[in-house]
Amino acid sequence: MRFIHCSVAISTFLLIFSGLGQLPLYKRYMVDQLPGLSWASNFYVTLLIHYVAAAWLVFASIMHVVYHTLRKEFDLLPRRGDLKESWVVIKAMFGRGKEPPADKYLPEQRLAYAYMAFSFFLVIVTGFIKVLKNFPSITLPYPVWQWATNLHNVGTVLVILGILAHLVAFALKPNRPLILSMITGYVSEEYARHRHPLWYNRISKKAR
Amino acid sequence: MSDGLMNRREFIKRSLLSGAAAALVLSGLDRLEVAEAASLQVGTLIDLTQCDGCEYRKIPACVEACREANKRYFPNPRKEDLKPYWPQKNYEDWSAKQNITNRLTPYNWTFVQKVEVGHKGHKTTVYIPRRCMHCDNPPCAKLCPFSAQEKKPEGPVIIDPEICFGGAKCREVCPWHIPQRQAGVGPYLKFAPKFAGGGVMYKCTLCYDRILQGKLPACVEACPRQAISFGPKEEMRREAHSRAGAIGGYIYGEKENGGTSTFYVSAVPFEAIHRALVAAGQQPAMPVGVPNFLDTPNGIGQAVLLAPVAGLLAAGVAVYKGMKGGE
Repeated sequence: MRFIHCSVAISTFLLIFSGLGQLPLYKRYMVDQLPGLSWASNFYVTLLIHYVAAAWLVFASIMHVVYHTLRKEFDLLPRRGDLKESWVVIKAMFGRGKEPPADKYLPEQRLAYAYMAFSFFLVIVTGFIKVLKNFPSITLPYPVWQWATNLHNVGTVLVILGILAHLVAFALKPNRPLILSMITGYVSEEYARHRHPLWYNRISKKAR
Repeated sequence: MSDGLMNRREFIKRSLLSGAAAALVLSGLDRLEVAEAASLQVGTLIDLTQCDGCEYRKIPACVEACREANKRYFPNPRKEDLKPYWPQKNYEDWSAKQNITNRLTPYNWTFVQKVEVGHKGHKTTVYIPRRCMHCDNPPCAKLCPFSAQEKKPEGPVIIDPEICFGGAKCREVCPWHIPQRQAGVGPYLKFAPKFAGGGVMYKCTLCYDRILQGKLPACVEACPRQAISFGPKEEMRREAHSRAGAIGGYIYGEKENGGTSTFYVSAVPFEAIHRALVAAGQQPAMPVGVPNFLDTPNGIGQAVLLAPVAGLLAAGVAVYKGMKGGE
């Protein structure tokens, strides 16, 4: 799990940086004058980085989906009622009301996952079309690659907004323990019992 | 074995099958050569042994005809829209220099170079009509971040002035830096003109509107020495070889940038022409065998396309290891 999250995080960061670098931004805005970044305005270099990071992201994404599907681990998929319950949880995180007992994931985590999954799906599929259209031996109709370009740009914005929201979540106190979890791959038993009682009860029953 | 997991044999069978299927599908991609309908694509032959630069005229005939045929497409910026590309101090404005005919500008889509070329002890004056070569796999069109350029089914590569933001990336990835930018026109004005965009890019369209009506490109029609021929691309290629063979000459544009639809024929080697152009500080030069910007990325692109298979196999291995561990 840590391998996947690490791969997605690093490759996505490289993709965003090199992706924005496909626009003629870095020379105009003098990013290429920052120390160590003189290559940033070189389209040849940034495109190669983008392709390599894309291969890595696709590898990690597919591995993630297939791994959990084979193990039938579907706890993170959204459930009916998640929208309403997320609102209750968010209010609780700001001190208004109490968090209802949660399963392995909080409802807004499931919704956030769905948002990120959709956004990544969009950039990856449209990215594939963009890669295909660059091959000399493949002729795709222009409207297809035009749609792919525009949706890829939309998907990029969605991913960036999602990542910002994802990072902002750690500003909320109840979520702070998860920063360590990102590195260790575990949550403490106390955290699980207190915040994810439905899941905790289920797996402690199994253990007995 | 834990609850809910399929048995080991079944798992291995399914993973290998899906991995193999995916690999098969992806390996077929290089055979996905959609018939280019090469017979439908147009091309040009430019015979440098015939071009004399129209020395007796004020402006070469092809240049004049091109300007006349395309003047209704020329940009018309308003003075108040001509602003620097913040935070830079510059912007590209040719609106006060529309009469320039000795280089490419948004108002001049072809021009004729004149260069003294030394070869085998002789000096020859070579005149070279230059413009977009309408490449087979044009990096300008493929890499535009807004897909503002299209390679039409008939072959010409066309910029859409209603989509182009004037980023000039196309100019940078073109080995000959053909597209030219005019500030103060185009869709960027409606967005955030101070911060994003630079105008619209302009270049030869191979008179796409005329050829759709069955007419010839203006330069082809105007040349008094028939130095420029136009027709089906493969026919032009054959003629280029035939002509080069007849004079013991050379061809440019067949292999460059991965292949173009413009074939130059010259009696002197293009390496010598290129050296002479560079020595004279003239642009664009004629680098022989210049590679396509997309060559290396396309190599890595194959890895991108195979990544799902790798991910699938890796997941399979990870799950198998998990099963063995008795989780």
